Amino acid sequence: MANAHPHAMAPAKPGKTRTAPPQRPPKFPTGGRYLAYTLFDWTGLIYLLLGFLVLKTIWTLGDGQAAWDAQIASFSHPAYIAFHILSFISVVFVGVRFFRLFPKAQPPRIGPAKPPPAPVILGMLYTVWIGATVLFGAILAGGIF
Amino acid sequence: MAEMLIKKFVVTRFDPDQDDVPRTETYEVPCHPDWKVLDGLNHIKDEIDPTLAHRWSCRMAVCGSCGMNVNGEPTLTCKKAVRDLPDTIEVTPLSNFPVVRDLVVELEGFMDKLKSVKPWIIRAKEKAVEEGPTRQSPEELEEFKQFSMCINCMLCYAACPVVANEPEFIGPAAIALGHRYSIDSRDEGAAERNEIFRGEGTVFSCSYANECSEVCPKNVDPAAAVNQAKFNAVIDWATGLVLPRGGKE
Amino acid sequence: MAELHRHDIVIVGGGAAGLRAAIAAVKARPGSSVALVSKVYPMRSHTVSAEGGAAAVARADDNLEMHGYDTVKGSDFLGDQDVIQAFVEEAPRELTQLEHWGCPWSRNEDGTVATRAFGGMTTKRTWYAADKVGFHLLHTLFQTSMQYGDIVRYDEVFVSKLLMDGNECRGVAGLDVRTGEMMGVLGRAVILATGGAGKVWPFTTNGNIKTGDGMALAYREGVPMKDMEFVQYHPTGLPGTGILITEATRGEGGHLINSEGERFLITRDYGVGTKAELGPRDMISRAEVQEIEAGRGIDSQYGQHVHLDLTHLGEEKIMKRLPMVRELSKIYAGVDPVYEPIPIRPVVHYMMGGVDVDIDGFADGVDGLLAAGEVACVSLNGANRLGSNSLTECLVFGARSGVKAVEYAKGTSDGDDAALARMGEEEQARIDALRGKQGGGEKIAAIRTDMQSAMESGCGVYREEASMQQTVRDIAALKQRFEGVTLEDKSKVFNTEIIAYLELENMLDVAESVSSSAASRNESRGAHTRKDATARDDVNWLHHTLCYYDPAGPRLDKKDVTLGRWEPEERKY
Repeated sequence: MANAHPHAMAPAKPGKTRTAPPQRPPKFPTGGRYLAYTLFDWTGLIYLLLGFLVLKTIWTLGDGQAAWDAQIASFSHPAYIAFHILSFISVVFVGVRFFRLFPKAQPPRIGPAKPPPAPVILGMLYTVWIGATVLFGAILAGGIF
Repeated sequence: MAEMLIKKFVVTRFDPDQDDVPRTETYEVPCHPDWKVLDGLNHIKDEIDPTLAHRWSCRMAVCGSCGMNVNGEPTLTCKKAVRDLPDTIEVTPLSNFPVVRDLVVELEGFMDKLKSVKPWIIRAKEKAVEEGPTRQSPEELEEFKQFSMCINCMLCYAACPVVANEPEFIGPAAIALGHRYSIDSRDEGAAERNEIFRGEGTVFSCSYANECSEVCPKNVDPAAAVNQAKFNAVIDWATGLVLPRGGKE
Repeated sequence: MAELHRHDIVIVGGGAAGLRAAIAAVKARPGSSVALVSKVYPMRSHTVSAEGGAAAVARADDNLEMHGYDTVKGSDFLGDQDVIQAFVEEAPRELTQLEHWGCPWSRNEDGTVATRAFGGMTTKRTWYAADKVGFHLLHTLFQTSMQYGDIVRYDEVFVSKLLMDGNECRGVAGLDVRTGEMMGVLGRAVILATGGAGKVWPFTTNGNIKTGDGMALAYREGVPMKDMEFVQYHPTGLPGTGILITEATRGEGGHLINSEGERFLITRDYGVGTKAELGPRDMISRAEVQEIEAGRGIDSQYGQHVHLDLTHLGEEKIMKRLPMVRELSKIYAGVDPVYEPIPIRPVVHYMMGGVDVDIDGFADGVDGLLAAGEVACVSLNGANRLGSNSLTECLVFGARSGVKAVEYAKGTSDGDDAALARMGEEEQARIDALRGKQGGGEKIAAIRTDMQSAMESGCGVYREEASMQQTVRDIAALKQRFEGVTLEDKSKVFNTEIIAYLELENMLDVAESVSSSAASRNESRGAHTRKDATARDDVNWLHHTLCYYDPAGPRLDKKDVTLGRWEPEERKY
């Protein structure tokens, strides 16, 4: 077990007797349900790398046709493929987790309006998500435009 | 008489008068199969070691006194049956809290945090009793009722990864209770509380781990409350930019 | 003594009555400094476990007179009628006040407060918030109290002695559980709001903290305990644990069933007439015991019980009106009331008796001392309390005593600090001597268990001369044994063994007054039912019992009942 922040849940006025320091939740960060939360946090690293990759790809546009072709060709490298699969999994994971938690975060009313029931919100989210994926896929595959 | 279950209770002990750091002590407890973890602790206290310190009272999961970590999980010990646990039952004080003694944790920090969200009805003008009860539709009641079910048992604080790292964080239960009043149709204090909720260490510290709602023994769903409060605090801030504040009470 | 804290008034106990008194005091006289001393954090107080509701006239088909008459009749004519009059008049105001403070009362479709039927009440007058009324009431009061800076809380401070200046109560000596140090909390008036003493019995709905502390504090200072023989057995507790299944189950239409599948309150004559399951608690508890004694109980590992059947109410109604009953039944009895009947038996629930106080809460015989709520006997409940009158009682008489206490405090002067501090020092010395006390090897748990079984055998649902006298002797012997208790915990910080010791000391005093009072009353009235004196005797016994502390053994006396518009008549439903 590890210590939590030494002042976690400490009162504003110091306690009247000596206390033992607060401990972190024993299963944090990788035990039980915390694992999903921790992985969720670590997906940030994947998006950071993905961001660099996009920047690098755009950068090569300025270095001529050969550089661009080399960059595109490098995407067939197994390491890149593995990274892309990982990115895909993490996007799906984050999406599903976020969507699951999103409906209940809606206040019971926003001004006079009431948000739709949770299943409807969830349906809307998935529709938009899948719709957008199909749309981009179609654009990238050259199906439209 | 039903067959007894022999359980090994591994209990954290800490006496600031004698111990530098917490230690553990192990007790063999013959448990009636219907017992909860709390019954085992009371057996230890009454029959084996009267120096054990733990809080409890109602033994029906409503007073909120007996929260502890049981095998690593924040638990109301009066609600958790021993027969649902392995032969070794590890009981430690709630995580994220300073430990006063044995299984007793420091609650003053929570009391400060609770007070800071103004958990009471705020009205521009207090209603006179003579005016009779306010009308509130069953639907309006339903909007906040769930968040009013909090028994202050502190399990959510023990589970929250943000509480562990950020001492200023007001935390799940207190925010849920502040939010509960803000969305009560009888209350006029939402603007005041939104102001508080936009401050340091409040709703935006929450990273939505949702652990508070996982461990809540009363299905209050504090994570929902905290994230609804985020939403309201933002909406309130945005409308404040567009509309002059003076238009609202 | 480490610290002296001076306030205008001191309230002991942070449940419904104590919190209501504190708020009433600071609102009646803004700027008054109010100390709220409680042995637990206020939201742990046992008010939290009340389930079914709080009574006050609210509907068009109801009126104050009906509420008054129901209460008088429920009390078996031992309630003081001036008190009952004041109570029913103030009840609607108090529940409305709670509504304004945010209590989530359940609602009718039109937005008005919903009411439900309760035992012994003629019409639906019990306000409710599903079946967690005490919980909501307590948390509403506690959270509301947080906005008043003049209410200074002393949480987890165990009051072990009233500080007396002659015949005037000037504060309390409290053991700070956290530090093991005594503190003096001084005020010109002290309100006791410590609740009842269910833990004197083995099988009770009450939580661990209900040890009659306030009763014992007042008793030892010479204040008489009134009507202590009247102990309410609630008809529906879970066997084994004693966990309360609310009377609202019957209010919402639940049936009591014996082993033969009969609704015995209908098929046999138990005096409840057509009210059946909506009869008063004393009668229904007796009916259950008779069913079991007649061999129509149901066997279980926890002895015999009967069944409470809710299956015909349907899942939707149970989830809406009685969600906690379902949760409790599942966790603590392993049955789901939507599909199966709940095993239940009578269980000690409430003390009608307590500190003898007048209509404003002032205790008999000591100046500046008040009491409100279950600890007090203002004689609202007489020989049997009606369900849902007690939460309202806490509010009505809590508020009253808060207001009266600050008024009283204004008209009197501070006590002699030095003398009070000396008294506190003596108390500190007494407590210090308890840490690791070498005695005769007696254990707290053993004496407590013996006390509880003595009380069950002598002061149960049915009583008789021999067993009551035996209990009186047993309790006296246990008080002797208590002297020989050995304590092992030598630490100052959070020493719960010392708290358990002090609580047991208090419970033994309460047990003494209950058993002695019970043994003295030679009739059957309300919850005091004798097998050897089955009739009510208005000629000789239409009076309150007073029990005074005496080191040599309790002294008993009588006090007149205040009658009024309702003359005693046969109590039949």
